[in-house]
Formats: sequence, C-alpha cells, structure tokens
Amino acid sequence: MSKLGRVVEAVDKYNNFVENEVKRARTDKKFGQQMVDRWNQIKANIPVGTAPTGLKLPRLALPEIDEAGDITRYLLADGLPGEFPFLNGAYREMYLEPMQNPTIETGTYEKNGHGKKSKLNGSKNGASNGTVAAGVSPAQDKAEQPTRLPLQQAEEPTRLFSGLMLAEDTNERFHFLGAHQRSKRLSTAFDGPTLYGIDSDADGVFGKIGEGGVAVDTVEDMIRLYDGFDLGSPDFSASMTISGPAPIIMAMYIAAAKRRFGPDIVPKLRGTIQADIFKEVQAQNETIFPVEASLRFLTDMMEYTTRNMPRWYPVSISGYHIGEAGSTPVQQAAYTLSNGFAYAEMMAARGLEVNDFGPRLSFFLDCGLDVEYIALTRVSRRIWAIGMRDAFGAGHKAQMFKVHTQTSGRSLVAAEFKNNLTRTAAELMLSYMNGTNSCHSNSADEPFTTPSEEWIRLAAHGQAILLDESGIFKHTMNMLSGSPGMKAVERAVEAAILEEFREIERLGGVMGAVENRYQRSQIQTAAHRYEQQIYSGVRPIIALNKYRNENEDLPEFELARTPRSKQQLQVDRLKKFKAKNAKKAEPALEKLAAVVETDENCFPALMEAAEVCSLGQIGETLQEVVGRFRPMV
Amino acid sequence: MASPIRVLTAVPICDGHDSAINTINLEFIRHGIEVVYLGYHRYVQDMVRAAIQEDVRAVGISSYNGGHVEFFVEVVKQLRKRGADDIAVFGGGGGTITHDDQRVMQKRGVDKIFFAGTSLTGMVDWVHQRYGKQHKASGRNGAPADMQLARKLTQIEDSYANGKAPRKSAMKKSGNTRVIGFTGPGGAGKTTLIDELVLRLLHREAQSRIAILSHDPSVVGEGALLGDRATMINSQHDRVFMRSMATRGQAGGLSPATEDCLLLLSQSGFDYVIIETVGTGQEAMPFQTKLVDQTVLVMNPDYGARLQLQKIVMLDLADIVVVNKSDQERAKTAMSEIERRIEQNERPQKLISTVAKRHRDVGVDQLCDLLTQPKPAAAASAKR
Ligand code: B12
Ligand SMILES: Nc1nc2c(ncn2[C@@H]2O[C@H](COP(=O)(O)OP(=O)(O)OP(=O)(O)O)[C@@H](O)[C@H]2O)c(=O)[nH]1
Ligand SMILES: [Mg+2]
Repeated sequence: MSKLGRVVEAVDKYNNFVENEVKRARTDKKFGQQMVDRWNQIKANIPVGTAPTGLKLPRLALPEIDEAGDITRYLLADGLPGEFPFLNGAYREMYLEPMQNPTIETGTYEKNGHGKKSKLNGSKNGASNGTVAAGVSPAQDKAEQPTRLPLQQAEEPTRLFSGLMLAEDTNERFHFLGAHQRSKRLSTAFDGPTLYGIDSDADGVFGKIGEGGVAVDTVEDMIRLYDGFDLGSPDFSASMTISGPAPIIMAMYIAAAKRRFGPDIVPKLRGTIQADIFKEVQAQNETIFPVEASLRFLTDMMEYTTRNMPRWYPVSISGYHIGEAGSTPVQQAAYTLSNGFAYAEMMAARGLEVNDFGPRLSFFLDCGLDVEYIALTRVSRRIWAIGMRDAFGAGHKAQMFKVHTQTSGRSLVAAEFKNNLTRTAAELMLSYMNGTNSCHSNSADEPFTTPSEEWIRLAAHGQAILLDESGIFKHTMNMLSGSPGMKAVERAVEAAILEEFREIERLGGVMGAVENRYQRSQIQTAAHRYEQQIYSGVRPIIALNKYRNENEDLPEFELARTPRSKQQLQVDRLKKFKAKNAKKAEPALEKLAAVVETDENCFPALMEAAEVCSLGQIGETLQEVVGRFRPMV
Repeated sequence: MASPIRVLTAVPICDGHDSAINTINLEFIRHGIEVVYLGYHRYVQDMVRAAIQEDVRAVGISSYNGGHVEFFVEVVKQLRKRGADDIAVFGGGGGTITHDDQRVMQKRGVDKIFFAGTSLTGMVDWVHQRYGKQHKASGRNGAPADMQLARKLTQIEDSYANGKAPRKSAMKKSGNTRVIGFTGPGGAGKTTLIDELVLRLLHREAQSRIAILSHDPSVVGEGALLGDRATMINSQHDRVFMRSMATRGQAGGLSPATEDCLLLLSQSGFDYVIIETVGTGQEAMPFQTKLVDQTVLVMNPDYGARLQLQKIVMLDLADIVVVNKSDQERAKTAMSEIERRIEQNERPQKLISTVAKRHRDVGVDQLCDLLTQPKPAAAASAKR
C-alpha cells in the first residue's frame, strides 16, 4: 500500500472516531458535560468587536448548538479555525481587522497567545482518551505552540501574477502593483521559452520572447527583474511560477540575491517556487526532463531549501492547472492532494523529518463557479491535515494546508467580457469563504491578453472591496462557514475525493497512475464534457449561450505584445553574457554533469553553474545526462 | 466509402495549452475524421514535415502563448516552399487571436481562424465541407521525394477505402532495406522502444534513413486518434519518414492497406523500415508477409501467470523477444519464465530485457546492436 492508501484509511478512521466520540458524549454523562463546559468556555472567551455602525459582533462565530454530541462533532470533525483538522481555516483569525476596543479580556484567544496552551484545542480530548487517531498526541501537544497568526494579518492576501516582456518591464509592473501595498508579495509569470528551459537565442522561439510572461535567460536578468526590492526583508516575498526548469531558476534566483546582497542573504530569502512536476505531467505540460529525473532535481532542491532556507516554499502543489485544463473540482482536489502526499513520501524517503519539510509544502488551488467550490478548499485542508498527522506522523505546523487561490481563468469568456468582473467577484467570495491564505483575482481581459493595467487595477480592487470595504470578512471569523448547504457539499466532495484516491491507489499510487495516463485521460474527458455542455446549453454561460448579443463586436484592447526590438535586445544580452562567461561556463557544466551522474544532491552544483551559465546551457547539459521528457498525449 | 479526412493538429513551440486541441481532437474523431496529433510545444518544421509525410488535408493549430501571427504564417510559408500548397492551415487560440490578427493571417495564406465561442460542431462542419475533397494525386511538379511518397501512400489507402481491387505489386523489396516488425500487447512499450532505437540509429549512422509505419485503432464507426508522433520525439527528424495509419475496421493490429504500403516503403531507398502494430492479443502473427525481415515481440512483465505464456503464439514466431519495463518488480521472473518457454522452440531466438523509458538503457543498446548486425540470412527463411 502506498501512503495514499494509508491516507484513505486514516480519514475513514478519523471519521469513525468522531462519530464514536459523538456517541460517547451522548451516553457518557461526565464526558458529555466536559464537552459542554469546554464549549461554553470557548464561547465566553471570544472577543467582541464593533462594526463602524456600532453593531457589536463576536470575532468568531460558532454554530448555535448546546447538545454534547453536536458540540463534540463540531470540535472534532471541523475544528475551530486554526485547529485540527482545520476545516474552518489554517489560522485562528484571518482577514479580520485589528481589534479596536476589545470588550473582554481576550485570554488565550488573543491572536498571539504566546506559549500559552490553547484551551480551544478540540483534539486534546481524544488524546486523553488514549485513541491514536484522536487529536495530537500529548507529546506533540506540549511541543507545539498554539496556532499563532503569522504575518497573515499584517499582509494583504492579494497577490497578483504578472510578467511581461523583458525583466525591466516586469520590474516596472512589480513596482506599480506594490505601490499600493504594505507588503511586497510579488508573483512572477515567465514567458514560454523560459518555462521550457530554452534560451532566447535558440532557433524558432524568437516570436515567443517576452510573450505571456517575462523572459529570463541568465542571472543578470534575474537581477534586473527584482531590482529595487529588498529580497531579504521580512515583508518581501517572491513567488515564481515555473516548474520544468524550476531548480535551475531557483539556483539563478539565489545567485542573483547573492550578487546583490552577499552570501548571507540565502537563509533570509522568502518566497515560493512552483516546481510541481506531477501537475506538469498531468495538466500544464511543461515537463522538460523525464519524470523520474525531474523529481530527482526537484527533491534535491527541496532538500537544500529545507535545510538552508527556512523561509522558502520549494514547491507549490498546484491544482490550478489541473482545474484549468478542464478537470472537475473533485478531480482537481484529489489529484492535487495525492500529488502532495506523494511529495511528502519522497521527502520522507530521503530521510527528512516530516516536521521540517511539512510546513514548507504549500498549495495552489483554482476557484471557479461550480457548486463544489463552496467547500473544496475547506475539505482539502481537512484531508491534508488528517493524512499528514495520521499517515505521516506530522505535528501541528506540518498538518496545515496553506493555500493560494486563483479565480478561474477558464470561466472568463470573450463574449461581453465585462461580465467577467462579476464572475471573478463571485469566485473571490468563494475563495475567501474557504479561508484561502492568499489570492489572485483574474482581470476581466483574461481571455484576450496578458492583463493591462486598467483591468488589473479593477481585479485588485475587487479583493479590497470584499476584504476592506465590505463587512463580510473583516469583523468575524467563520462568518459564512458551516451552513447546511456547505456541510452537504463538504460531505459529498470528501467522499468523492476519497473515491479518486482509491482509484489512484489501485493503479499503483500517483506514479503508477501517471504512467497509466490516468489523471490526464480523466481530465481530458471532463474537459471535453465541459465544452460539450457549453455548446449544448446544459451549462449556461451568460452572453455566450444565454442572452447572447448577436451584434457584439470584439472589443478593442491594449494588447501586451512584445516589440521585436525588445526581443532582439534579449537575444543580444544573452549572446553577450555567453561570450563573457564562455571560459567559466564549460567547467561549471562539466562539473554539473558529473554530479548528476552520481546520486549526490546536485543542487549545489546547479547554483554554481547558474552564476555563469544560461538557463538553456544548463537545461541542455542536464538533458544530455538524463534525457528529454517524452510527452504523453 | 470515401476515405476519411485526415488532418494534423498541434500546438506551437513553447506552448502547452492543449486542452482546447484535445477536446477538438475528440470531437473530430467522433465525427469520422482521422487526426494525426503531433502534440504541444512543437516547432514549425516538425509540423510541416509531419503534414507532408502524413499527407493530411489540413493542419489545425491551437495557439495561446502569443506569436501566433508569425507562427501560423511560417507554417504556410514552409508548406508552400516544399510544394504542399494544397495543405490548408487553420486553427484558433480563444481570445488571444484578434480579428485584426486574423485579417493579417488570412492575407498571408492562413485559411481560417476560429474565435472564442465557436461551437464544436461549427468546426467539425468546416472540416467536412472545406477539407472533404481529396488532394490532387501528386504534388506540384518536382515536389520533394517525401511528398511524392506520401501521396502514393494515400492512393493506396484510398483505393482500399473505396473498395477497389488493391493493386498488388509484383515488385520485390529492395535488398538493402531492412524491415523490422514490432508487435506485442497494448502498452508494452513498443512506441517508446522504437523511438529509442531511432535515436540510436540516427546517432550511429550519419547517413541512414528510416521509415516508420505506425498503427492505431480506429474507433468503431468513427475516425481515429493517431498520437504516436506526439510521444516519438526522436523520430521527428529529417532523416525519418513516419506515417501513421488507422486500422479502419480491420482486426489483427494492421490496416487493410498495410502490406501494400509496406512494400512501397521497402522499395523507397530507406535503410530501415520499422512497423508497429496496434497493441494486440498474441494469438496470431500479425505479419503474414515475407516483407518483414525481423520480428520483435515486446512483452510486458505483467502478463499474469506462467500458463498464459503457452497461449502466446507470437513467442514461437518472433525473432527477438523483448521484455520491456524491466524496472518493474516482476521483470526477473518474467525473463526466466519466457526464457524457458522459448527454449522449447529450438530456434535461434533472442531474448532481451529493456527499460525503454530510461535514457541510455543498455538493453535498448543491445537490441539496436542485434537489429543492425549484418542481415541474418536465416531470419527470413526461418519464418513459416
Ligand atoms: C486553460 C488555460 C491555461 C491552462 C492550460 C491547461 C491546458 N493543458 O491546456 C494553464 C493553467 C495550465 C495555463 C497556463 C498558462 N497560461 Co493560460 N490560459 C488558459 C485559459 C484560461 C483558457 C484557454 C482554454 O483552454 N480555453 C478553452 C478552449 C476550449 O476555448 P477557447 O480558448 O475559447 O477556444 C475556442 C476557439 O478558439 C477554438 N480553438 C482553439 N484552438 C483551436 C484549434 C483548432 C484547430 C480549431 C479548429 C479551433 C480552436 O476552440 C475553442 C472552442 O470554441 C486562457 C484565458 C481564457 N479565458 O481564454 C489562458 C491564457 C491563454 N494563458 C495565458 C498564459 C500567459 C499562460 C502561461 C504562459 C502563464 C505563465 N506565464 O505561466 C501558462 C503557460 C502554460 C503552457 N504550458 O504553455 C494567457 C496568454 C496571453 C497572451 N497570449 O497574450 C491567457 C490568454 C490568459 C491571460 N490573459 O493571461 N493556462
Ligand atoms: N516502467 C516503465 N514504463 C515504460 C517503459 N517503457 C515504456 N513505458 C511506459 O509504458 C507506457 C506505454 O508505452 P508505449 O511505448 O506507448 O507502449 P505501446 O506498446 O506502444 O502501446 P500501444 O501502442 O498503445 O499498444 C508509457 O506510459 C511509457 O512511458 C519501461 O521501460 N518501464
Ligand atoms: Mg504504440
């Protein structure tokens, strides 16, 4: 049985455990009373805030239940925000504005309840009962701090994906986006040649330079890209959306940071690199080395960052691309989670401690308009927590599913495209209802082009309107969680995800399923059905197949297309770089190739090579040793 | 019955947006079209070469990552340069291709762009109406050899489809061409193995030319998805002529036109002609022809119990038996069971263990050595 099979068992077992505890609370008077007492204490400790209208509201909303069984079920099956199994949120408070005049002593409920043991730990109960599947073990309970709200509060969750033309153009865009934000959370899109590890001066790619993302060939481009940002500052983080050549790009980022700030910068670097190879093979199609070799490069990098860069997220386990390729929401969650468990298994197999690497795994999900999205992220968080705790022995921090959400690009259509604002707004609402840790909202011009500033601005404002302007999220945690409908969706979705897990397990785990093209063919079938449903009218898409305006002309857009002169500039710069470093590049590449032939971790050699070699030079060298990826249809 | 329409579909270089084209491929084959799918992240020259060799009526390109005006127009230009003016170029890219772009593209020879919001039936209808007519029998005068050969292959396929008596040729294959037949159960790794062989052949022999005849099943009553080009990355090469064929209703892993096509290829000056059957049951030998010099049976270590082996007639007939996927647990057992099984035959059969998916696999090297040895005079005659 692979770990995935254990995860399925663990979730089933945990659900049974919860129901048994519910029964116990109803039959065992003493235990029942304990639960009721705890509940009352929790409620008494909830601080009360005041809305601008003067209305007083608790900072945490809880269901109106008073019966011991129901209380037990809520605390164990859902958990309070920030507590196992994290259905309601990874952290105790998210999106809430700081308290102005707390009306009660907040006690342990304070968002920075330093060191004090949380009285809200719903899982403690089970542990005292001696059941393995229940809550954290007493030892873990002592070791773990109660969930502390990290920077989430101080930092806006808004994180907009951008990249266009050359490094200096994207840099300008970064400064434009960051100008309005306290924290600098950059998210980088790369152009096609970079995503495929090809140099800008290679035959046949000229027209693709700087299209759809930024062109990066060398460490010098990397320096230009983040110029003017303090890479070591605690409120700066860089996210890089690249996977096939991710270890090379990561090495280049480190090289650039070292050149600008000296070697001591490395442990301070904070950010995320997507690097998720499984979803490339399943959905996004940017794998450049054979799967096994890609995974080896990835885990080499993950091992290095886990040991040396404690603030770095070396993989963003992504469902976004799976969803956008046309999967159903359940498929998206199931494949993403199972990929995540497969990475955890690989890291553990390398001898890394789950509590070291676990907290550095992060997730990236899609949020569209299908009904599943009411609870998809919530359920994912729950399954991850149970799986990590009970199948991997993870402690509190490594149980937490930290997730970035992007609204669905595919739900945005060209016909009467301004409707896309409404679609994105609805998806944003769903994303925040699911307690996402950060979020990208798509621009309404998504179907046409890399977004222009006009529409990006509206997309960013959409988030601010929901979070800052409206009262929906800023006063009360759990404001919209736990409705009967949401519960119904949660149950149906969880069961369906576990069913997918079982199928993957039957195929030999994630790797076996990949080799059988399982995920790919499932996604393709779902995508085909989705398009058929649009054109048969089963899926109403407003202004496309319903209320269509036959006279609509395609709108005029400001298209972000890279001028030839810039493309040529990129090629010239690269040629210069190669000429300048020719003497140093060769030995660096030879050394790299030699290390790759062994079982050693090749990331250090990669970092050296990145100082003097281009992306394409490194990529080709690696391909000579390990071969090229053979695509699956 | 008229021959099905054949089109080539692909996604341009540095672009992995394949969701649209996958859906369109499925829709096309449901409506009787044979789709040769080249895959995503593909260069202009690979599309042009494939379009000509496969002799498709049109090339459908799905492009999302920008640069489409240049890319589509370059495909048109290269096709024309190589005499294939009559292969049309069409495609789409959702909202990324604007009406202005389309005007420029059409002026420069692109046939049609499908914008965001076009219904799937709209595209299918277009292909049927616009590309329903057969090409002229030959390309332009002086068309390159690849194209002439490709058109002749189409004629052969067409004559079978039209139910006309096949023009059995009396000609013998040329003595310098080695014809190698690959067969074996579905998913055993035939395609991967062939592509790895091609990589080695191209590398070892600076001049040699290779032809590949690859088969995929037709969907009952429908078209076919011919997807081997997408995975055979090493075979997309100027010294390789590849042709993908649909079985068009015939059982046994080959098409009604296969034998004639094979004969034509074996007379066309290639050093190697490699033929892959559809994944088959192994009760019978799919190559009922003297044309094949060597037969390779590719096995999956997971064939089940040892008794199964007794039923596999192919084990008696193949010249070389390959146990692929030797990275799998069962491989060792499989090797010894099969070894014992073929010992009974008392024929000079070879048994090789490979991991086709591994770069520089020594098993594949051995297979390549075997297949490039001076022709074993015995091999052909040993067959019944
Ligand atoms: C789905 C999607 C993805 C998925 C792709 C999954 C996959 N395997 O295909 C994911 C999330 C992986 C992805 C990634 C990226 N994407 Co994207 N993606 C989209 C999205 C949302 C939808 C495209 C789609 O498939 N639509 C569904 C199809 C069926 O419908 P359609 O596009 O309307 O097409 C119709 C017709 O045009 C026609 N058609 C299309 N092709 C063909 C071909 C033929 C032969 C025919 C007959 C008809 C036809 O059929 C359709 C039905 O009517 C678009 C934005 C949008 N809303 O359109 C962005 C978009 C295409 N992506 C974009 C970008 C930039 C990227 C990235 C480069 C981002 C990055 N830097 O990392 C990566 C690159 C990925 C890669 N490997 O190349 C940009 C392109 C910008 C530009 N050209 O200026 C877009 C426009 C979004 C944006 N505004 O930024 N993407
Ligand atoms: N584990 C393993 N998988 C392999 C090996 N060789 C090929 N595969 C995988 O097996 C699957 C099928 O490979 P193909 O080459 O398409 O097999 P095929 O025999 O041509 O398949 P059909 O033409 O569909 O009958 C792919 O997923 C390959 O990656 C190998 O040596 N080991
Ligand atoms: Mg095959």
